[in-house]
Amino acid sequence: MVRVGKPAPDFEAKAYVNGEIKKIKLSDYRGQWVMLYFYPGDFTFV
Amino acid sequence: MTAVAARYAEIKSLGAEVLAISVDSPYTHKAWQEGELSKMVPGGLPYPMLCDAGGRVGELYEVYDEEGGVDIRGRFLIDPEGAVQAIEVLAPAVGRNVVEMIRQIKACQYVQKTGEVTPSGWEPGKQSLKPETEMAGKVCEIWAPELA
Repeated sequence: MVRVGKPAPDFEAKAYVNGEIKKIKLSDYRGQWVMLYFYPGDFTFV
Repeated sequence: MTAVAARYAEIKSLGAEVLAISVDSPYTHKAWQEGELSKMVPGGLPYPMLCDAGGRVGELYEVYDEEGGVDIRGRFLIDPEGAVQAIEVLAPAVGRNVVEMIRQIKACQYVQKTGEVTPSGWEPGKQSLKPETEMAGKVCEIWAPELA
């Protein structure tokens, strides 16, 4: 369950960043704020 | 997404990173960046685009739509300790407001730093409130909806 005030579930995923493909873990960003946003798909309109 | 890119410098200046995630493969992200996004934002999106293979991450965050096989438009603000501080989920056809996202980061940071609370519509420079027992029932003496 994801709840405000509770730990965000950690995960690892492949990412496209600055022309490269690499693995990223949410916990790599400990110490920073993270805006994690899900969206339905590439080539959509909004 | 390009609107977030346009405000990326401000987001970074707040000590925040943006992670966008969909079920698309990294190669599809690349194709979209090169074919379209880079025409709206020079160099394309400056933040990582993650691949949620099979919607596993979306399932963890309860935003995976099994019927459509896609992640719905959920946004999670996570603090430096790894705790969720804000959640917003919108209908697929409705875009988000990056100005409001940035305002929420600033409000969360202010609350964590000061121990105060931020009333409706708070922005930096606007009045915040100290949560004290004596204030119960008397907020009306120091705050009004016009201040939002």
